Amino acid sequence: MAEAGPARPPAPATAGQLARLVEQGLQLVGTGDRADLSKRLEQALVRLQDPSIRVVVVGEFKQGKSKLINALVNAPVCPVDDDIATSAPTVVRYGEPASAAILVPVADNAGGNPNTIERQPIDLAELPVFVSEQGNPGNRRKVAAAEVCLPRRMLTGGLTIIDTPGVGGMGSAHTLTTLTALPTADAMLLVSDASQEYTEPELRFLRQALRITPSVAAVLSKTDLYPDWRRVEELDREHLKAVAPDIPLFPLSADLRLEASRLQDSELNIESGFPALVAHLRNEIVGKAQRLQRRSVSQDLLSVTGNLRLSLQSELEAMEKPEETPHMVAALEHAKSEADELRKRSARWQLTLSDGINDLIADMEYDLRDRLRRIQREAEAAIDQGDPGPVWPQFSQWLEESVAAAISDTFVWTSERSQWLAAQVAEHFAADEVSLPVLHVADSGDAMDPVDQMPGLDPGRVNPVQKVLIGMRGSYGGVLMFGLLTGIFGMSLINPLSVGAGLLLGRKAYREDREARLKRRQGDAKTLVRRQLDDVTFQVGKQLKDRLRLVQRTIRDHFTGIADEYHRSLADSVSAAQKAANSYAREKEGRIREIKAELHKVDALHRAAEAVAADAAPGARTAAGVA
Amino acid sequence: MTPSTTARAAELLQEALDAYRDEPGAVEALQRYQRRLAEPLRVAIAGMVKAGKSTLLNAIVGEEIAPTDTGECTRIVTWYRHGHTPRITLYPKAGDPRILPLKRTAGRLAFVLDGARAEDVDRLDVEWPSPALHAMTLIDTPGIASLSQDVSARSSGFLIPGDAPSEADAVIYLMRHMHASDVRFLESFRDDGAARSGTVNAIAVLSRADEVGAGRIDSLISAADIAGRYSQDPNLRKLALGVVPVAGLLAQSARTLRQSDFESLELLARMDRAARERMMLSADRFRRSSDTQGLTEEARASLLERYGLFGIRLAAVLINNGFADPTPLAHELARRSGLNPLLELLDRQFLARAEALKARTAVAAVENLLRSRPRPDTEALAAALERLQAGAHEFRELRLLADLRTGGVDMRAELAAEAERLIGGRGTAVPLRLGLAPDAGAAELAAIARACLARWRVVAANPLIDRSALEACRVVVRSCEGMLADLSGVKVA
Repeated sequence: MAEAGPARPPAPATAGQLARLVEQGLQLVGTGDRADLSKRLEQALVRLQDPSIRVVVVGEFKQGKSKLINALVNAPVCPVDDDIATSAPTVVRYGEPASAAILVPVADNAGGNPNTIERQPIDLAELPVFVSEQGNPGNRRKVAAAEVCLPRRMLTGGLTIIDTPGVGGMGSAHTLTTLTALPTADAMLLVSDASQEYTEPELRFLRQALRITPSVAAVLSKTDLYPDWRRVEELDREHLKAVAPDIPLFPLSADLRLEASRLQDSELNIESGFPALVAHLRNEIVGKAQRLQRRSVSQDLLSVTGNLRLSLQSELEAMEKPEETPHMVAALEHAKSEADELRKRSARWQLTLSDGINDLIADMEYDLRDRLRRIQREAEAAIDQGDPGPVWPQFSQWLEESVAAAISDTFVWTSERSQWLAAQVAEHFAADEVSLPVLHVADSGDAMDPVDQMPGLDPGRVNPVQKVLIGMRGSYGGVLMFGLLTGIFGMSLINPLSVGAGLLLGRKAYREDREARLKRRQGDAKTLVRRQLDDVTFQVGKQLKDRLRLVQRTIRDHFTGIADEYHRSLADSVSAAQKAANSYAREKEGRIREIKAELHKVDALHRAAEAVAADAAPGARTAAGVA
Repeated sequence: MTPSTTARAAELLQEALDAYRDEPGAVEALQRYQRRLAEPLRVAIAGMVKAGKSTLLNAIVGEEIAPTDTGECTRIVTWYRHGHTPRITLYPKAGDPRILPLKRTAGRLAFVLDGARAEDVDRLDVEWPSPALHAMTLIDTPGIASLSQDVSARSSGFLIPGDAPSEADAVIYLMRHMHASDVRFLESFRDDGAARSGTVNAIAVLSRADEVGAGRIDSLISAADIAGRYSQDPNLRKLALGVVPVAGLLAQSARTLRQSDFESLELLARMDRAARERMMLSADRFRRSSDTQGLTEEARASLLERYGLFGIRLAAVLINNGFADPTPLAHELARRSGLNPLLELLDRQFLARAEALKARTAVAAVENLLRSRPRPDTEALAAALERLQAGAHEFRELRLLADLRTGGVDMRAELAAEAERLIGGRGTAVPLRLGLAPDAGAAELAAIARACLARWRVVAANPLIDRSALEACRVVVRSCEGMLADLSGVKVA
């Protein structure tokens, strides 16, 4: 594997070393008055201590997703069966000792937050009862997810692997759940077996997923079973190339890998194709995520050291060259007023942000309405074609599915746009590298919750009694009319003629009534569809707006925080310089020594952070990383 | 039973021809249906891409004629019909049909389109001297959910034309696992037929059944369980008359087992079991391995290609268990592949009522014509159509059979089973309907038929009976009466 590469640069800083650097930074900041800087470093520390790199394994059902994970961690954690096996997602992560738990949503009777999720520990052997299609068909137990912790070296880097139910089965509910899980994932593995090249639904899913997840790899499973897997691999590579240029494809066999670990046969292991996937997971996916993390931590450190250095440096200079102090103070004041500008509402980035969010909200609303209107038109056309009564359950299911699909599209689109907006704001904020806040808008999981289920519709069945009554209504008039008429000729009210007329009119009345019922049912159905879509527009529009406002707040707070830090440092520097200019010579000597020592430490930390940053810079290590 | 339904359908077509004789388009269509009525039943083989349609077609025919490949292969609708000499005809969308050169690579046909693009070809027509094609014309279709949209569209357009009765009288639908696209397709095929006749005319096949259990020796048992679950699935019950698992590759190769294959398999069977399993860990290992007692690499590659890992495993076990000659081994492999139940089901459901199914297509064609091109002087034709639709007992039997199959009739299970048999669910011959041996005497047949008639009259007379069941009883009683009439006719003659 890649570790043996001779041309490898010195190992990058581990999470532990990074944490030590951050702790040093915290000491330097001290418990003093710079609470803003220490808070920033504390956050970085928290991020370092809980690294979680989520890799979602997706694919159509029966492609061998669960077995792939089992073979990867070499333990039978995900249930495998000849029939459809997985019904709830399973999260596999590092943990000592091995344990399992299920996450169940708690029904909150108070009606408050419906999203509270309870974690119930279970026995590892009991897991299939909760996540398999046999033990829990169609996820009837409402398990949100299962969690398995395993003491595996491979998982120590924070790698978390998520097994998902197959997409493409009956109804597209699974597809949606899988898609909504993707925005929070760092990478996706698309599994397809070697029996055939990609099908249209698979590539459609891949294209959708590519818009949400940055890192996608494809896996060609079950190569042991199909003699012609190389042909399929070739075809698949072509298809992948047509979708995006750099999606790697790994042909592998889970059975061979399991057999290899049973026999301790390393040759067989290499043949299974897994080492390549493991290397990819470690170098590309985990490595990339760690590089990203190292970069953000080093950015934090650099900015903190920069801030600290500014005030120390100005104090030092003021002491060493008192005559320059007024110039320096003036320059500092100028910088301070510039930083102050950035904090003001009228700053350019603030305007970009508020305008952008307003545009985004308007566009989003238009997009949502447009999609839903198209569905409404389609639904009305379908209703007009026939009697909606008997097929109402299927119809409302179709409606729900297409609405859900439309909403997830809108969410994905909105998420893309808000990321773009954040980048735009950052550009206006400063030309320097500014780390972007983490945004999650695309998760549409709970957006639909406030919308009620589609109400039922009269199925249009008329029981015999009703039929008789409807018929009677017509025939009564007929009998009476003709009975009275024929009464003129001296016949009794009930005579063959009047009864005949009654029967005829009764039939007619029944038929007319049936048509009227159909018309009414069609009208009712349309009203229901309209009301439902109206509800969806209202609720989802509100949710989306809330989320966008949240995005706006996150972006604003993020950049205001940075502006505040600048301002604060500059103000500190000004006062330190002024104080220094006024202090006594004797005190000066001691203070200069103190400051120099302090500066030395800050510079050391700054250099360390710079080294980390250079190491983690995009493109700096990719050549070595793939080796 | 009464052979007149076909004759009446033919009469109806003739009447329609008379009525529409001054419209060349209609005349041509009607003449086509007239010819179709005289031809064997048309059974289409449909399914998602790579479901194994061509392989199954080869298995049913018993010869490897349809080309198969690892990539997507069938791109043109191809008809396989019986003919005395092999011949391939290409029907372009525009222009005259032309004969293609007959070319075979490794036994399979190679279609040399010389110049024509797949998009411009309407269909290929293969005439082949195979006894299996006597009874039915098989139609190989491109897969649905294909990556090339126009290929899928070609298949759907052919099977579900929307504005005319489907070109196929019945469908064998292949699926690997029940996929949403499978159900959608079957629904539209049923809707297409149901609007006209109310019958179910599809059989679902769980194809590539040996891969369900990753090629393990018990794969087909697993596959049978899954097929059992699917056949209970309410979504599929409505759409298909049955679900059977078939290992298509094994079936195809078993029916064409060669002496050389047998010798290679025998060599493998003689190997130590553990050593054999080690060698068969993966397809690659099997092809590469060295300790194979004189089995050449080509022989191994050919075995792998023709039988798959499952087939080789199964054959080795069977040879060790006493199937030591090629012919019994071939039979046993074919039996285990699940091909026989499929052929039986085909025979029972499609071939036994081929006449009725074809007549139904003709009736639908006339009905469609009347609706799409109404004319002032067609009342007589419309009346004849109505008479045939309402009066033809075969159509009512077909409809009831579909209802019984799809659980639309509220009846006790054993009664429902008997009703299914009496209306010809296993075959339309009188002894088959009555559940007797084919050589039973007329007197015995008449006695049993009379007993059935009496029993079903009693059932029908029950005032508490459900409405749907009452309708069913009436059809069954009518079937019994029909049988008695036939039997008395035999006596007179």
